[in-house]
Amino acid sequence: MTTLGQLILSGIFIGGIYALMSIGLTLIFGVLRIVNFAHGEFLMLGMYGAWAMTRGLGLDPYVAIIAVVPAMFLFGGLVYRLIVSPALDKPHLVVVFATMGLSILMQNIALMLMSADLFDIPPVFGHAVTVGPFYFKAELVLGFVITAVCTLVLQWALKSTYLGKAIRATVQDREAAMLMGIPVPRIFLITFAGGSALVGLAACVMMPLFSVFPTVGLNFVLIAFVIVVLGGMGSIEGALIGGICVGVVQSLSSYYVAPAFGQMFFFILFLLVMIFRPNGLLGQKGAADIGIID
Amino acid sequence: MRHWLKLFACILAAATFAPATGFAQAPIRIGVLLPLTGPFAKNGIENWEAMKIARDMINERGGINGRKIEYLEGDATSPSAAISETERLITKEGIKITTGSFASPLAIAVSQAAERHGVFHWETTGAAEIITRRGFKHTFQVGAPARKYGQAAVDFITEDLAKRLNRPVSDLRIAMLWENRAFGKSVGDGIRAYTGKKGIKLVYDEGYDQFATDMTPIVQKLKDSKPDILIAISFPNDAILFQRKAKELNFNVAAFIGVSAGYSSPDLRASIGSMVNGIFVADFPPKVNPNVLKPEVRKIADEFYKRYEKKMGRPPAGHATAGFSAIWALFTDVLPKAKTFEPDELRDIALKLDLPEGSLVNGSGIKFTNFDWPDNPKDAGQNLRASIGVWQWTKDGNEQVFPAKLATHEPIMVPLPSWDKR
Amino acid sequence: MTRNPGFISLMPARGTLSVFEIALLVLCVVLVVAPIPQNLQDIIVLTFLWAGLATAWNIAGGYTGLISFGHAAFFGIGAYASTILLVRIGVTPWIGIWCGGLLAALFGAVLALICARLRGPFFILSTLAAAEVIRIAALNWPSLTGGPEGLAISPSADSTNMVFASKQAYLVLMLGYLVLSYGVTKLIDGSRFSYFLFATRDDEDAASAAGLNPLAIRTVALMLSAALSGIGGSLFAQYFLYLDPTSVISPEVSFQFALLPAVGGLGTAIGPVLGSFLITPMSELLRSYLGSKVAGLHLAIYSALLIVVVLYFPSGIAGALSRLSRRREGKP
Repeated sequence: MTTLGQLILSGIFIGGIYALMSIGLTLIFGVLRIVNFAHGEFLMLGMYGAWAMTRGLGLDPYVAIIAVVPAMFLFGGLVYRLIVSPALDKPHLVVVFATMGLSILMQNIALMLMSADLFDIPPVFGHAVTVGPFYFKAELVLGFVITAVCTLVLQWALKSTYLGKAIRATVQDREAAMLMGIPVPRIFLITFAGGSALVGLAACVMMPLFSVFPTVGLNFVLIAFVIVVLGGMGSIEGALIGGICVGVVQSLSSYYVAPAFGQMFFFILFLLVMIFRPNGLLGQKGAADIGIID
Repeated sequence: MRHWLKLFACILAAATFAPATGFAQAPIRIGVLLPLTGPFAKNGIENWEAMKIARDMINERGGINGRKIEYLEGDATSPSAAISETERLITKEGIKITTGSFASPLAIAVSQAAERHGVFHWETTGAAEIITRRGFKHTFQVGAPARKYGQAAVDFITEDLAKRLNRPVSDLRIAMLWENRAFGKSVGDGIRAYTGKKGIKLVYDEGYDQFATDMTPIVQKLKDSKPDILIAISFPNDAILFQRKAKELNFNVAAFIGVSAGYSSPDLRASIGSMVNGIFVADFPPKVNPNVLKPEVRKIADEFYKRYEKKMGRPPAGHATAGFSAIWALFTDVLPKAKTFEPDELRDIALKLDLPEGSLVNGSGIKFTNFDWPDNPKDAGQNLRASIGVWQWTKDGNEQVFPAKLATHEPIMVPLPSWDKR
Repeated sequence: MTRNPGFISLMPARGTLSVFEIALLVLCVVLVVAPIPQNLQDIIVLTFLWAGLATAWNIAGGYTGLISFGHAAFFGIGAYASTILLVRIGVTPWIGIWCGGLLAALFGAVLALICARLRGPFFILSTLAAAEVIRIAALNWPSLTGGPEGLAISPSADSTNMVFASKQAYLVLMLGYLVLSYGVTKLIDGSRFSYFLFATRDDEDAASAAGLNPLAIRTVALMLSAALSGIGGSLFAQYFLYLDPTSVISPEVSFQFALLPAVGGLGTAIGPVLGSFLITPMSELLRSYLGSKVAGLHLAIYSALLIVVVLYFPSGIAGALSRLSRRREGKP
């Protein structure tokens, strides 16, 4: 019983971290209807940033958020201007390959600049949190709290602010939004940059938990893709639920079946969802029809 | 269309432009295949630095019979790239000798391409058993086969740790965790066979995926199987994840034995700090007891360590020292005896080598199998005298602890204090 | 598009052979027979193989709009099928490659049932996930696939084992494969079936209204594409002689499948071939000239070039060619 409890709770917490890492992707996915294949490398860049802040300036990685998030916002904006925006009016595959090219480019620039060594930061909190028979790393719990707060704030912002409403209008109907005077290209830019900033936030939260190296993105990018589709693209609470699902499935399958199967079970879960609920777990209507190849 | 033809002609012209070779006193050209990019890059680059130091050292000493060593390197980032790069070095550059390649799948791939062209391959660190069991004639594996890593770990338990823990071996609960890549699986298979033969039952025996991001279920399952001793075969990233998770979940063992790359990397301490203290590592010794080395080898070893630390800012990992040791043996014991430098001649020289332990910088000796060992399938070109020992992370460095004749130190921290007392 | 069967058009056109294609074929044959240094032959072998593979992908991706990022699974299934038959049972690859193609086609049918209803990013990600499932399965079935240690074919030349010492033999083999893939595409191109494919791709509702069964059409297209990819996978195994799941069934291989047609021109028969003729030598030459200078430099340059090419030639080389020919003929 203790074991099952530990597995499920740990799965939920790590799932929260996965969700945080995927929120940026789902926003971009939902609004621009593109898959950013360089998402994992954005995470890698953010993690190097958090690492540099922590090791170089002696900051706490959670304080580094103040610098990393705006920096990633600017980086996202730059990538949007240079690569994404010119690809938007072209066939769907163009943006796929442009971002894929960016992914290889970033990996190898990181290799040239940082070498292939693993970098880590010392633990922020010395001890694990103990609740009854369960143990949790304090950084993991804090990460989950940050994810929850971030989800709530984003939800509120999307519902209540003008920008949020404009973003939602763009998601629902691009042409109508344009006709209503919403500057859609600008919304795209802000969403892409904002999504990248969220990856920066995730990177700071993940830095105390994982090592950073040029190909670290490969370990996470497929998880992020699965979560985004499971949750229904563009859905922030969906990402949280998708993240938790992936975390728990991974945790239980590794324990009860075999860890050598790794990500197989959530890929199967993902395929099952695609067969029976192609609109994602929360089932936004018509989501699966968005993004038809032009 | 003319445009395209022109472009194609340009590519053709550019690629045919290959330097001529083969003059007397021309350098001896060796193809070095290592993963310089991609997931294995960290270890590949460390090996590459060690190999370059060996080249510089031999060239400063006047080369081999007056001929300098020249490397031609290929980026063997994946097995298919390894094959393409080996093919390129052989067919374009006319390379007759290849070496490398750090990781087992790459070693399998490189030797496959080399054998196809009848090229002499001097494998420095690849360990999977299959490398020397395909009936190849020109592949020589100077590093240890996978089973040796496991045997070192198990022998250490039965001959040393059991006594220190005051427990009979039959009483010890031994667990094994391996990474599901060629090396991890091959070592795991070796340990399973070896413990089976000794009548030891493993209480836990599971592989995990190389992209594992959450170690909770693994550590939890280990915790539930209550082992006294854990043998873990890992790569750097998952070794770090595992140790952190073990601490988080308060999973304690009386002794922890890591195998190779993940636990032998010198920057493990930079990553997880004092958590490394007390961990045993079954691998090539990074620094052996200098007393076992022949005096002239000791001098070479000192020079290598100094140059490596100067260049990389940290001492070499076991695999980097092994890479240096193997290539240095090629320079000093194989190539000087060669006249034609043809693969068949090099093969004869290699098969005649009979170097006692302590002849190589990392304490190994060399004696190759030639389909004459009672294995099935038959081994050929496997070095029987590669020394895999066990060393330990201590408070401020590392010390060799097993086997006794290589040891520089008594094992400490046995049993390993629980996490709250470390 | 004008069709005048009496004349051979200069530029590639649907349904007929053009001067361009014949000239390209002649060039390929010259490359096969000419005494070229071995290392260049190596690049040409890969170029032919990838041209064939990309052509196979294009039947699903370009003609039917099934942008698959899971073709590495078909490729891997084909490669493993023929290799397992050879290594474990001793069946000659001359038979094995067809078994590989058949098995890949069956998996194509399964994948079509799972994914063919999905669109855009959903289809892309589902195929990616399906290929990962196959990769992990191969990794964990060592008694069949050799697991992470992989499977090796004996490198001693033996024509019954389809292992040759000379690169020329492989050039012939790969060119044969390219001609097969291209021939199938041209047959589709000239038939009514191509209109079914385009109709399902461009407007599913209209296609069903016209009495077509989009799901069946997609399934057939994906199976055809999978079968050809599987055969290519078997040939790859016979050329490289070593397979391991992580490098054969990798997302990178799937990306390559889709990249070459995207660069060459989607939905045109000639596009994927041109894509491979440009990209494959480029990446091999970059690696061989720069791979050893600075770790990562060759991939950085390659990817930067890739970004520029896809952004500025969105309709591919074939698109640029057809614009050129239109201009020559004085049409808008």
